[in-house]
Amino acid sequence: MPSPLLPSSLGSAEGRNPPVVRRPVIEIADLDFHYGTSQALHDISLSIAEKEVTAFIGPSGCGKSTLLRCLNRMNDLIDGARISRGAIRIRGVDIHQRDVEVMELRKRVGMVFQKSNPFPKSIYENVVYGLRLQGVRDKTRLDEAVETSLRGAALWDEVKDRLHASGLSLSGGQQQRLCIARTIAIEPEVILMDEPCSALDPIATAKVEELIHQLKLRYTIVIVTHNMQQAARCSDRTAFFYLGKLIEFAPTKDIFMTPSNPQTEAYVSGRFG
Amino acid sequence: MADTSKAPSFPITKRRLRFFGLTSDELVQLFFRGNAMVSVLVLALITLFLFREGLEFFGQNQQNLQVYRRAGLDYVDHMRWQEQDHTALNRYLLDVRMKVMADLTGRGGLSVEAANQRLEAFDQYSIRFDDAIAPLRGLVSELSETASAIKTKYYINEDKRTERRQLLAAGRADEAARVEVIQVDFARELEPILASRDAYLAINRDLARELQELASAARAVPGVPVERMDRFGTLVVQYVGGFPQIEQRLATWDYREDVSLLRSFSAFIFGRQWLTASFWQDWYGVLPLFVGSLMVSMIALTLAVPLGVGAAIYVNQIASPTEQRLIKPCIEFIAAFPSVVLGFFGIAVLGEFLRSISGAAWLDWVPGFPLAERLNALTAGCLLGLIAVPTIFTLAEDALQNVPRSFKEASFALGATRLQTIVRVIIPTALSGIISAVLLGLGRVIGETMVVLLCAGNRIEIPDFTAGIAAFFQPVHTMTGIIAQEMGEVVRGEIHYRALFVVGIVLFFLSLTINFTAQKILRRYRQQPL
Repeated sequence: MPSPLLPSSLGSAEGRNPPVVRRPVIEIADLDFHYGTSQALHDISLSIAEKEVTAFIGPSGCGKSTLLRCLNRMNDLIDGARISRGAIRIRGVDIHQRDVEVMELRKRVGMVFQKSNPFPKSIYENVVYGLRLQGVRDKTRLDEAVETSLRGAALWDEVKDRLHASGLSLSGGQQQRLCIARTIAIEPEVILMDEPCSALDPIATAKVEELIHQLKLRYTIVIVTHNMQQAARCSDRTAFFYLGKLIEFAPTKDIFMTPSNPQTEAYVSGRFG
Repeated sequence: MADTSKAPSFPITKRRLRFFGLTSDELVQLFFRGNAMVSVLVLALITLFLFREGLEFFGQNQQNLQVYRRAGLDYVDHMRWQEQDHTALNRYLLDVRMKVMADLTGRGGLSVEAANQRLEAFDQYSIRFDDAIAPLRGLVSELSETASAIKTKYYINEDKRTERRQLLAAGRADEAARVEVIQVDFARELEPILASRDAYLAINRDLARELQELASAARAVPGVPVERMDRFGTLVVQYVGGFPQIEQRLATWDYREDVSLLRSFSAFIFGRQWLTASFWQDWYGVLPLFVGSLMVSMIALTLAVPLGVGAAIYVNQIASPTEQRLIKPCIEFIAAFPSVVLGFFGIAVLGEFLRSISGAAWLDWVPGFPLAERLNALTAGCLLGLIAVPTIFTLAEDALQNVPRSFKEASFALGATRLQTIVRVIIPTALSGIISAVLLGLGRVIGETMVVLLCAGNRIEIPDFTAGIAAFFQPVHTMTGIIAQEMGEVVRGEIHYRALFVVGIVLFFLSLTINFTAQKILRRYRQQPL
């Protein structure tokens, strides 16, 4: 095993900036974002690569969560939130166009939240929720999806005997993995994770991080985190935000070992933030 | 002050203003404690009073029913009911005639005289049927007078007895001695009634024979639909078939049989008549009132639940902030209407409106339309629904508000539409809160008085449920309404007065159960980990 600080998938051959992203799934170009009159994001441009983990780091209020929520248009739920310039393209489609079906977008770009939020339903029903929305009634298909998803979220062995117990009866870490299972049950392309471990203890955190490594093989993952070790351990690329601006975007190793921007260096070395 | 010089250099005690030896802090505390205790005390007093006044009813009703039996009213009533059943059959014939008449003069295009001519045979039949009961009717009316007289005699003597007791208590023994009380000897008084048995049996035999003849002749009556007459024949045979049972009951009837307290209780709870100040016999049966209250409440909830819950869902989940600011105060404002004003509106506008609507041709298919009465269960129910809407709306909206936002986000993130999110996540999560909102709305409705008193039509009768849904368009009376209406005109301590109190107790328990259940559900839902 290589050092956890240095993800093995990034060869040193790829070199330094500018970040050349292979097969980008998501492209963000010149994005400005407003909450009412206050501007939350300034001129963001970055690309997110397929089947890699991209981490967004930065101090509180720097706009990293806002950007993440733009990627599946969760900001639509907030009054007065809007994109004022630029575009986000997923596989070349501008997702903020009027004719984009938001529900379809969210099926392809799933999300896991900071606080685990299983529905007050059984574990089984939590997992099949997305499928039921799509009108799937076939019992065998649902059963299969439950097993696959729970295995995929490394939760199957812990809950296989009590699938019909309430999702709320699980521990915090299990709940978060249940939420991940629920997300992967509808087989999205991208999974957005908004500080998925901030409410978990270190052991539960380790389990989720291990899970992220496995999920990377099948999904493109964008993770927002406050925990820099986590970013270093889990991600292939890291974007550092400060005051709504993208300060530096590079392979994780470079951000943490040889940051090119003095602000990045100050942040990753713990001098502010 | 004089002792300032002796005071310590730093003041550790402070002189406080005292009233009656209490500081202002303690006074304020006392005030609050007083307020709290007053509510507890008042509640206890009300409950106590309700039961003290009410429970004696059952003893009085037992007495009431006992006199009913001793004086032979019970005996005569068996015959009276027999007679009344005959009258019901007579009404059936009248109904048949009316329908046929309308047919002949309407579609048939006959003049009234010609139509009457066609129905002559039928009329002959009807008259014969009506005449058949005459002997029984005569007997009943004769016996009724006798029984009534016994009862009156008994009560006059009871009054005298009371008078004498009061005079004795007042120490006026000589006046008391002058009050003449005689013991009513029921056995002797009842003799003429019981002696009529042979006459009754003879009358009954004749009646049965005559009716049987009429029943078999029913088919052959010309000019009227055969199937209706067939049905009539069957009904008559059934009626006659019941005669031996009545005779049996009269044969075994015994005036000495005591009425149990349980009978007094069940006569109240299951009694189908609420009849007061009657010349014959007073009945205190809560059933028609209970059914009335229930029906009006059901109508109210049928309207208020979709309105209140629907509005709550819209305002909480869908409406824009501007709409929320407009709708919420409007709905809550309904609660500000005095119910008497709503009742007034119900009489003047809604009742009239519903009746004119029900007359519309395209609503012909609804049973019971056009409405016969302007004031009925539907009118009162609609207004009560309006009263319940703010309660249900506010509490249901609270329940929806308490659903964590994260559930909504999670659902959206899984590709759900707004509607799917509401139906699959928001409502199930808030369901217990919504149910308790509905129950509290029911509690509000069942206790409402003014509107039902003004708009329910106040007919003390169990609606005719054989009419199906049309039963809901009939006038009813309610438990709250009867108390408000009759409490002003009863004599304190008398049986009628106490009966109203027992109705109050029934209401009290009903409200208590509803509120208790609602609180229980609400508590469970608050404890749910979210």
